[in-house]
Amino acid sequence: MSGGKNKRSKRHEGWEEAGGEFYQELYPGGEQELFENLQRADAAKLATLLPSKQARNTTTSKRARSQNERRQSTFARTTQSRDIHLSMLPDLSENLSNEERTWEEIMQIKAMPVPMNQKLEIKSRLQNATKLRLQGLEQLQWRQRKVLHRFRIRFAEIVGKLELWQSALREIEGKFGTGVVSYFLFLRWLLFLNLAISIFVVTFLILPNVFLVEVEHDCDEFVENSTICCSQAYLQRNLTDNNVILDLIQGTGWMERTILFYGVYSDQVYSYFVKKLWDAEMFYNMPLAYILIPISWILFSLIAIVKTAAKGFKERLVENEGQFYMYCNLVFGGWDFCIHNDKSAKIKHKALYNEVKGCLEEEKYKEEKQSRTRESQILMHLKRILINLLVFVILVGSGILIYVVFNQAMDKLNEEQFSSMEIEFENITEKSTLSPYRDNSYSIWRFRNTLLEFLPFIAIGVLNIFIPEIFGYLIKFETYTPANAIIITLLRTVLLRLSSLAVLLSQIYIQISDPDRVRCAVFDEEFRQECWETYVGQQLYKLLLTDFALQFVMTFFINLPRSFIARHSNSRCLKIIGTQDFYLPKHVLDIVYVQTIVWMGAFFCPFLPIIGTIFCFLIFYIKKFACLTNCTPSPIVYKASKSKSLFMSVLLLGFVISILPVAYSVAEISPSWNCGPFRGYETVWSFVVETFEAFPYLIREFVFLIGTSTFAVPAFAILLFFLYYYWAVAAANRHMVEVLKNQLVLEGHDKQFLLNRLSAFIRQHQKRCERRNRASFADDDSSIQHSSR
Amino acid sequence: MGQGKSQFTEEELQDYEDLTYFTKKEVLYAHQKFKALAPEKVGHNKNAKLPMAKILQYPELRVNPFRDRICKVFSSSNDGDCTFEDFLDMMSVFSDNAPKAVKAEHAFRIFDFDGDDMIGVSDLREVIERLCGPELKLSDSEIQQLVQNVLEEADLDDDGALSFAEFEHIIDKSSDFCHSFRIRL
Repeated sequence: MSGGKNKRSKRHEGWEEAGGEFYQELYPGGEQELFENLQRADAAKLATLLPSKQARNTTTSKRARSQNERRQSTFARTTQSRDIHLSMLPDLSENLSNEERTWEEIMQIKAMPVPMNQKLEIKSRLQNATKLRLQGLEQLQWRQRKVLHRFRIRFAEIVGKLELWQSALREIEGKFGTGVVSYFLFLRWLLFLNLAISIFVVTFLILPNVFLVEVEHDCDEFVENSTICCSQAYLQRNLTDNNVILDLIQGTGWMERTILFYGVYSDQVYSYFVKKLWDAEMFYNMPLAYILIPISWILFSLIAIVKTAAKGFKERLVENEGQFYMYCNLVFGGWDFCIHNDKSAKIKHKALYNEVKGCLEEEKYKEEKQSRTRESQILMHLKRILINLLVFVILVGSGILIYVVFNQAMDKLNEEQFSSMEIEFENITEKSTLSPYRDNSYSIWRFRNTLLEFLPFIAIGVLNIFIPEIFGYLIKFETYTPANAIIITLLRTVLLRLSSLAVLLSQIYIQISDPDRVRCAVFDEEFRQECWETYVGQQLYKLLLTDFALQFVMTFFINLPRSFIARHSNSRCLKIIGTQDFYLPKHVLDIVYVQTIVWMGAFFCPFLPIIGTIFCFLIFYIKKFACLTNCTPSPIVYKASKSKSLFMSVLLLGFVISILPVAYSVAEISPSWNCGPFRGYETVWSFVVETFEAFPYLIREFVFLIGTSTFAVPAFAILLFFLYYYWAVAAANRHMVEVLKNQLVLEGHDKQFLLNRLSAFIRQHQKRCERRNRASFADDDSSIQHSSR
Repeated sequence: MGQGKSQFTEEELQDYEDLTYFTKKEVLYAHQKFKALAPEKVGHNKNAKLPMAKILQYPELRVNPFRDRICKVFSSSNDGDCTFEDFLDMMSVFSDNAPKAVKAEHAFRIFDFDGDDMIGVSDLREVIERLCGPELKLSDSEIQQLVQNVLEEADLDDDGALSFAEFEHIIDKSSDFCHSFRIRL
């Protein structure tokens, strides 16, 4: 052992003699340091001594062994070699730094990878160093900066404290990792979006409608299709005295005449005098507000979605040059450092193991695919076509089912309507004799009626729950890669949900656009869809309620017992029934669906965003319960960044799908005569046009000018030009990246080559030195021998 | 709580606030957490040195496959034992506010098992084995394949190991790293 050490030290002596000059030429600055390093390293590890590899090592743990002196030397080196960290390190050689710079430097100490006591030391050294005092304006600016900085910290602290659901998110993160947490963050994001929309709606629609007083017009003599008479007839009609709760969940009866629905919003320009403001007359144009507010929250939502999506998109763009760093991400970013319980750690290990296996297999699969025989390829394609057909059949089938159920329920309801009138009539006449019996049957009838009202929505909800399970089962036969499998199942499920919505809407549309529909019912007879906007609002309101109720029931009354079974039984079969993964795409769809309904219905039922906000709030707890109590962590690794962009794209799809029908109804369908802010107009849009005509001449001309081709064509050309320019810049950058990467590789090879040469050279020197040493020893020996002789 | 507050002077707290990514309150909170690991010892000396085994009782660290490396990297005495200041450094780096570059720096040191300033084949193997946990073992050829793939992706200069520059390059492009390399206080 000691012999070996001896030898090495001898070798170092040799180096020092031989290599000294050589290195001095190469590194005129830090030769002392370099030698120290060289002495420790052997020739094979020369590469670690390169400046590029050392740049960051101001003081790594390894080097901190003989701390003090070593640190001094590293300091010296870094200041000389002017590498990246120089900017971070306080430059002690210059004493001319002023207060502001010192402060900046102190703020940067925290980024240095050194232990705290060293940081403290550096800080105190910086503080004690002589520095220039700032004068006048600069002093003021610096003070301001400092105050601003402190204020920002405090502000961030307060905001952090107010952050919603922090502890809940942490708990989920600890158990399920960052991918699932990103889902809950998405849910919170939606909550805030709905809240913002609600604020729009409350301040500009609901409050004015509640507080401003409408001018009463009387319907003096009946004129055919007069909006005043029609609406009076509608609003003053006796309400059916249904059960309060039934009305509450159906949005009928007394609910229909509340600010919940389109119907009660006034078509008047409110005007009132403000005494204090020079008796000025103020106007509030309710119909204009009613069309402008939806437009503004639609734009707001769109901007919010696009902005959030763009952020994710940018990240993704930087990240993936075609799955470039897939394996690195897996290895270095694989572990969620925030996981803190044993069970989930175990599952995470397993998930990572599976992912590694999956990735490697995928590669093999790709190789296999190329070598796959023609027959098996044909078989696989055949299978896929077959399953796609099956999926298509299921989609069409569920569409038909909803259609049939909806029509049946409506027919039954219309029949009931007539019979109910009869019953009521009989009720009045026979009240004295048969009332107990009648009351009983009447309530049953009512209940049945309600059930019929809800039947289509329950059908939709049930389909939404079960069909995705079938899709999930089918996808297994199609041999897609896991990532693709998720996307394809998601797409199919989206199609299912949207198609069911489409069927529902088309049914409603058919009813509304019925030419025989009574436009203005003056007499005391009640018609369904009297005020069709309110009717649509009611339907969507019911749909939202049903969906929420089904989620509630599924989580607490079906999935909870299932998870109990899984936990407390040993039978294998029961375990299979009971265990549930937290399958992210499904849950994403759940909330996107809610949001879609809210967007779709918010024009017809201004209260819907508020209900949506409340539901988002509650759904968070339902999903948290589902996640923490019912489910086990999924064996699929969800990457946070990927899932975020997935959420946003699904949401964007839902947004477009929900806005299109609303836009169509605004532009094409004529509004009701007897209710709402747009009574008497041909379409809602015609109101906008009419209002626009009343604008001052200049504004009108300006807008017309924008509309004409003299403006549009050049504008389009300029836009195209910009587009082309940015595209060209992007292409050039891409090319540059390619070139630089190649250059980097070449440099790497060059460096490798030089290092090899260098180590060979050193080895040669060593040998030569040893030989010389040996020779000198031999000389000594011989001289000793000589002298002894 | 009150006691925790009295253990630090205002000046010390200011220092900690300046030198970490925490506010004063968070520093105090971190100290509470630290104290919870060994109430007796920390109660006597606020900056007591706790052995690695004690530090590893912190929930996130307990299940972390790289726990011993984390302790060693942040320990000022390099043996894994941590004082409160070391612990504070650790939490500061793992906090949300720490920039990517700082996180990457420490991640590199955590993954560099043999301490040669390069993540070599043996380091990568170790990382992969730890990731998959003690129970599940990948076969040797699979690990070999994976290491090969990683190096193919990231080792730009073909020297069979990742230097810090190369590692930082990967981290720059990985948006998930920042999400996952994080421990909430």
